[in-house]
This record gives sequence, C-alpha cells and structure tokens, in this order.
Amino acid sequence: MALIDKVLPGYVATLWMQEDVTPTPLTDSELAIWTAQVADIVGTTAGGAGTAGMQVPVEAIPAFGSDDASATYGIAGARTGAKITTQNQPTSMTITSAWNPADPAMLQIREDGYSGSIIRTYVVAVYDGTDTVAYAFNARVGGLQWDMAPSAEGKFHFTLHPVGGNAYGWSNNT
Amino acid sequence: MTTQNNPYVYAEAIQAQLASIVEVPVYANFNRNYATESQFLTWQLRNVHQPVYTGQTQSNKGIDTPTFQISIFSQSMSDAFNLSNDILQSLHGYSGQFGDQFFVAKADVFWLYNTYDNELGLNQIILDCTLYIPA
Repeated sequence: MALIDKVLPGYVATLWMQEDVTPTPLTDSELAIWTAQVADIVGTTAGGAGTAGMQVPVEAIPAFGSDDASATYGIAGARTGAKITTQNQPTSMTITSAWNPADPAMLQIREDGYSGSIIRTYVVAVYDGTDTVAYAFNARVGGLQWDMAPSAEGKFHFTLHPVGGNAYGWSNNT
Repeated sequence: MTTQNNPYVYAEAIQAQLASIVEVPVYANFNRNYATESQFLTWQLRNVHQPVYTGQTQSNKGIDTPTFQISIFSQSMSDAFNLSNDILQSLHGYSGQFGDQFFVAKADVFWLYNTYDNELGLNQIILDCTLYIPA
C-alpha cells in the first residue's frame, strides 16, 4: 500500500491508545514501525489490526507535532544576532471528548490521570478508507476536567503530555 | 458515544406533551379547515441534529437538541396570550419525562412573536421550544 496521496478532511483523524491497565509503551524506534507495533494499537476501522488498542472518542484531533524552539544569541558590537533551531519536545495535546461516564477509554484516562505516572503509547491515525498514516507518541495524562456547561453535552477535557524529545514516530501501513 | 434518536418518537412525545398542557386541539400541521375553530395550536419539528465528531465511528456524536415550533391560534387575542402563557409556564425550564416517551434534561422556550391573520381572523403566537436530551 502506498502512502496516502491526497488532501484529507479533518474528520479522517482518530485517536487510539494502548488498552492495558499497566501498558508497556513502545520504544522510541518502535513508534515509527507500523507492522506489529503501531498497527496493533490502531483499530480495524482506521486500517490497523487493533489487537492491543482501543479508540478514544474525541470531538476533534487538536494540532499535533512539536513545539517551536530556538536558541537566540547576539554578539556585542555585531549588527545582527542569530537563531539556532533546537529540537523541542512533541506538543502537548489538549483534547475534548463528549463525556460518557462509562466509556472504557475515558475511564482508563481518568485512572491514568489519577496515577500521574503511567506512560502509554497513543496514536493519531489518519485513514482515507484504504490506507493509514499514523503519528505515535508516548505520553502521560494531565489536566483532567469535566465541563458541564448547559446548552451542549457535558465535556471531558484532558491533556496528553509527551514524555520526551524523541518519543514520537511516523509510520504508515505497508 | 450516542445513538441517533428516532424523530418519530420526538413527534409522538411533542404531541402528547402539548396535549397534556392545553385543553384545546393540538395538531401537527396547519390546515385551513381548523380555522373554523376558536382556539387550537399546531407544532412543527425542526433542527433535529446531533453534532458529529471526528473519525470513522458513527456513534461518536453529541446530544440531540431538537427544536419544535408551537403556533397558537385563537380568535381572541387575550385567549391566545393566556394559552401561550400556559405553555410557557409548563414547558420553560421543564426537566423530566417528555410525552411519556423519554427524559429531557431541560426544555427551553423562546416566545418569538405574536401576529394576526386578517384573512383567517386568527391571532397567532409563535413559540420555539428546544429539548436537551441525553443520548
């Protein structure tokens, strides 16, 4: 299968996570390996195998990638300074779900947030009906909030904080 | 994760709930034959919609917030206002079983406007009611 070669609507994106209560997150190199690694976390509805993952129902996938950073310096007497780009950590993702108190993924995230120390592999899967591109990263959960404002369904907000500079990887089905 | 409710159930519930509030005829749509009656009301359902969220799972949706319009008709302006007030007092802020069909977390009524149809000789008052339904 080829890498997806088309422009996609935002609706194609889904969020998946390892389903074990105490998971063993993928290694930095495994985060970029589709077969038997990332594919096992992504469910069949998004082109994966789904043997070790479950879907997190979210309203929308927020912007993901890496934070911007640079080292800036100047030399006294020189007319211009300079910036050196530095590799920064993957972006934290603040996510909103329509809250269903019995949803197994939301319950697991609630437990992870209570623990504060569980590191779990999450995957953003982009699926065009045939092929899948996946952004996998290891993260802890923070910022659990439940928002029951009237005029809409109750919301469950949480933030996924990636654990390190290289703790992400891109892969696609092959 | 929600299922899409059947709008037919909404229709049944609206008819039953309105009929339980007022003692005048309740109809789903306007018919000129009704114009011979001194008082009646009609309703129309619209905006049945649950927001859909990302991904391939069809049930990744929010709640339904359907709105129905209530049109109160009366040959007497005072009767039209008082009949509308009965509905307003009964429905606005209501939480509980709706038309013996399902639970509504809240019913929210907007009084839109009153008007008069000279041809029919009927005062009209138009209300909107939005239902917030756990799903």
